[in-house]
Amino acid sequence: MEQNIKIVLPEIPNLHELDVYIQNGGFNAAKKAFTQSPDDLIEQVKKSGLRGRGGAAFSAGLKWSFMPKTTDKPKYLAINGDESEPGSFKDRQIFEYNPHQLIEGILITCYAIGAKTAYIYIRGEYHKWIRLMQKALDDAYSKGCIGEKMKDTFNTEFFCDIYIHKGAGAYICGEESSLMNSLEGHRGYPRVKPPFPAQRGLWGCPTTINNVETITNVPKIIENGWEWFSKIGAEKHPGTILYGISGHVNKPGVYELPTGILLTELIYDIAGGVAGNKKIKCVIPGGSSMPPLRGDQLEGIRMDAESLKAAGSAIGTAGVMVMDEDTDLLRVLARITKFYYHESCGQCTPCREGTGWMLKTLNRMIEGNATSDDIDLLIEVANNIEGNTVCALGDAAAWPVKFMLDRFRDEFEKYVKTDVSLPVRNKVHAMRGTVVPLVDVKR
Amino acid sequence: MPKITIDGKQFDFNHGQTIIETAKENGIEIPHFCWHPKLSISGNCRICLVEVEKMPKLVIACSTLAADGMVVNTQSDKTIAARNAVMEFILINHPLDCPICDEAGECKLQDYAFKHGTGESRFVEEKQHKDKRVELGPRIMFDAERCISCSRCIRFSDEIAGRNQLTFIRRGDRVTITTFPGEEFDNPYTMNTIDICPVGALTSKDFRFKSRVWEMSSTNSVCTGCARGCNTEIWVRDNKIQRLTPRINETVNGHWMCDDGRLNTFKHVNNEETRIDGPHIRVDGQLTKVTWNEAVKEAVKRLKSFNNTEIAFIGSAFATVEDNYAFQKFSKANFNATNLDFARHVVPGSGDDILICEDKTPNSLGAVLTGIQPVADGMNLAEIINGIKSKKIKALYIMEDDIAQLDSEYETLLAKLDLLIVHASNKNKTTTLADILLPVSTYAEKHGTIVNVDGMIQRMRPAVATEELERSLDQMPMSRWDKFGTKFDRWARGKKYDAKPSWKILGLLSQELPNKLKYKMAEDVFEDVSQHVKEFSGLDYDLIGEMGVKIKSDKITAKV
Repeated sequence: MEQNIKIVLPEIPNLHELDVYIQNGGFNAAKKAFTQSPDDLIEQVKKSGLRGRGGAAFSAGLKWSFMPKTTDKPKYLAINGDESEPGSFKDRQIFEYNPHQLIEGILITCYAIGAKTAYIYIRGEYHKWIRLMQKALDDAYSKGCIGEKMKDTFNTEFFCDIYIHKGAGAYICGEESSLMNSLEGHRGYPRVKPPFPAQRGLWGCPTTINNVETITNVPKIIENGWEWFSKIGAEKHPGTILYGISGHVNKPGVYELPTGILLTELIYDIAGGVAGNKKIKCVIPGGSSMPPLRGDQLEGIRMDAESLKAAGSAIGTAGVMVMDEDTDLLRVLARITKFYYHESCGQCTPCREGTGWMLKTLNRMIEGNATSDDIDLLIEVANNIEGNTVCALGDAAAWPVKFMLDRFRDEFEKYVKTDVSLPVRNKVHAMRGTVVPLVDVKR
Repeated sequence: MPKITIDGKQFDFNHGQTIIETAKENGIEIPHFCWHPKLSISGNCRICLVEVEKMPKLVIACSTLAADGMVVNTQSDKTIAARNAVMEFILINHPLDCPICDEAGECKLQDYAFKHGTGESRFVEEKQHKDKRVELGPRIMFDAERCISCSRCIRFSDEIAGRNQLTFIRRGDRVTITTFPGEEFDNPYTMNTIDICPVGALTSKDFRFKSRVWEMSSTNSVCTGCARGCNTEIWVRDNKIQRLTPRINETVNGHWMCDDGRLNTFKHVNNEETRIDGPHIRVDGQLTKVTWNEAVKEAVKRLKSFNNTEIAFIGSAFATVEDNYAFQKFSKANFNATNLDFARHVVPGSGDDILICEDKTPNSLGAVLTGIQPVADGMNLAEIINGIKSKKIKALYIMEDDIAQLDSEYETLLAKLDLLIVHASNKNKTTTLADILLPVSTYAEKHGTIVNVDGMIQRMRPAVATEELERSLDQMPMSRWDKFGTKFDRWARGKKYDAKPSWKILGLLSQELPNKLKYKMAEDVFEDVSQHVKEFSGLDYDLIGEMGVKIKSDKITAKV
């Protein structure tokens, strides 16, 4: 496997500067694209096998093809740079080191789907990267690479505008329909689907939403051809991925490598192995919401959507979190759960109520006030959230709890006691079953 | 027509209908908190999750469109498990303070907990605490702990009242509802949110802690606050009206009523300070309580001393069709009355395009149609007033309207009359000037009909007992018969006023005159109306029923 292929983050000094980008063949792909028909472009991206890098790994070309061909409404492209998943920090590398390739990707995508306006939604905490991206946009505008001047620059009838929209610090706004609400100025609440964004998106108009990394791949696919791209990495999930490796490794960071690389290779060869040569207890392969893997079951697992699915997890945003043998998984799980509790938007019942319940129970476990029944209760609460919510945040909150407890039950059994006396925190509930056990009076 | 199968039964549906709508139409209730037929779909409560064949996950019945060949199961193990799960989730942070909650007894959450809850909770943690008493606006109190974040109130305010005043703030289980900065929840329709709130989160500042729901009887009626005639229910305990709530009538008011109608059209019924209890005549300058017989004899004797051009009769758009018809019949038949009119109470600019009308009376059209207008060259109201000034009019018979209040000079004018007979339920400027004061039952104490701005004739029923109209089994609802006659009986106790409907009083007077009104019941009067007024021909109380009937008349001027 060719490990040196760099699509998204080529190792070219100062590539973030527009002149350097153009000297290295920048915007050639756009020029090429504008001579082709939009349908051709969609077809090429479809055939390339490019799949979304934001977590769901959905075919990008297929997503574009959902946009209505005939509509009297304006169409929009929204680029999701909210990047709020713990363990995920790849998009900011693009904002910093290769912003113009993202811009070029946006131009091509807008042309392909017929959008005249694109928004780059960047999480509010990324002050620096918002500034860098804005600088790149300003430079590209002044060189005539974006906006109406594109007509002359690229000798085409097509032009589009690109705006940055700053998030206000909510994980939920990385969910595409909340992102649209946030863009429209509303509270970041996910929308009920259907209708899907391609039918009714921003301001009720057809909208495509893609991840930053996904779109940054597009110029190279157009430039080098879909066949070239489809042969890189895993067959069903081709290309490279920006792996964000964090945790107990010697060389944490973002690495661009082909899909399908062995997880062990990623940890031991690329990231320099585990600090202090300790054993691995747990790896979360795709950002904190993805099901965790046991450290003793990592052999042979490859980093692509299909392989990870078969291993009982998912590629997510490829934010690999490595935890060594000394890690206290109860505290890890409580911390992850605290995050989803904090970020649950509160719109729909199971996630709003369930995240808090799980956190409170986990904290009680940390206090030493839980029994093994509480482990089962946690799994049931997680199961009751999963699949029953408006958006995927419910699943994101449920999976770590459900799979961590299931796969590392031995770890958690160490914390529980056979008998605990609970303070009467909640009289109404606590009194239940004390006088006449309800189990006995049930119909 | 496309077909959908719900719980093994096949139903037709129209394109664009959701599963929950189709089910409801066919008598299958899928539990719901956030869905409301008049509001947009928010899909947040998740209690309506149902299993649909060939769909990988459960879907929410409120937003999923019915499709041809779709097979829905609202009672499958998966559906019930999800429903129980959602119930459990909603209840973990709910304060369960039903014993002190106004909503108890008419609470969706309570009903569903009973119907769909498992009966016990596995939640042993501390509940999330929030503000218990937030004044969202002048009429609404908000208990954030009870709130289940269904967003019905937010959507109502935005979509129905047309005033986007409410919003969620915070996230997760800290979510709560507040007004936008600098805003108060004060639109004219805020109290409808109390009705649609599925829990006791939004309560009426007026009704809060006044009564348990099951201690009241409810009687179908119509609001008298303006010419819209919103359908209402009158809630009575201890023979006092505790509150009004809107009653669904799609052709009149939909599900709603305005706050003004809800709050300001019933308090006079309960007001012991101002209610007129028994007939009065002026003796030595003082209004003195007398028997009905004395009052009636005195009234007839003094009326007879004037000739017909010296007397004027003023009917009322606040009185029923029956009262007005009896009034004109009585006056024309016995006094050859020509000076006959009623006062208009129109406040220009006070209406809106939702429910509120500029005409602040409930029965203007009814008064017109029953013939409350000058006969031949008789005087109208303005001319009657001038007539009093010029001493042409010496006696005035006013039924159920505070004429002295209409203009600053009227009070002194009416004082100049030789005879002023007044029908009224409550003391007012006009009654203090009366020589003979006859107490009338309020709209909540009698049978009768009124005609709204669009020509809908609607029925009112007694909800409060008077001395002449006892709360008996066939007339007024009593919801708790098991307590009847005990010390917990809320139906037999409370103050009863000595008052009668105007048509009945006029009937008493007519017994002393040549042309007698022989009505025994309001229905008799209406039968007479239906035989003599073409707009009402063929109608009777049963036909009018609970929802009213639209009459045809060229006098309907309202823009619909």
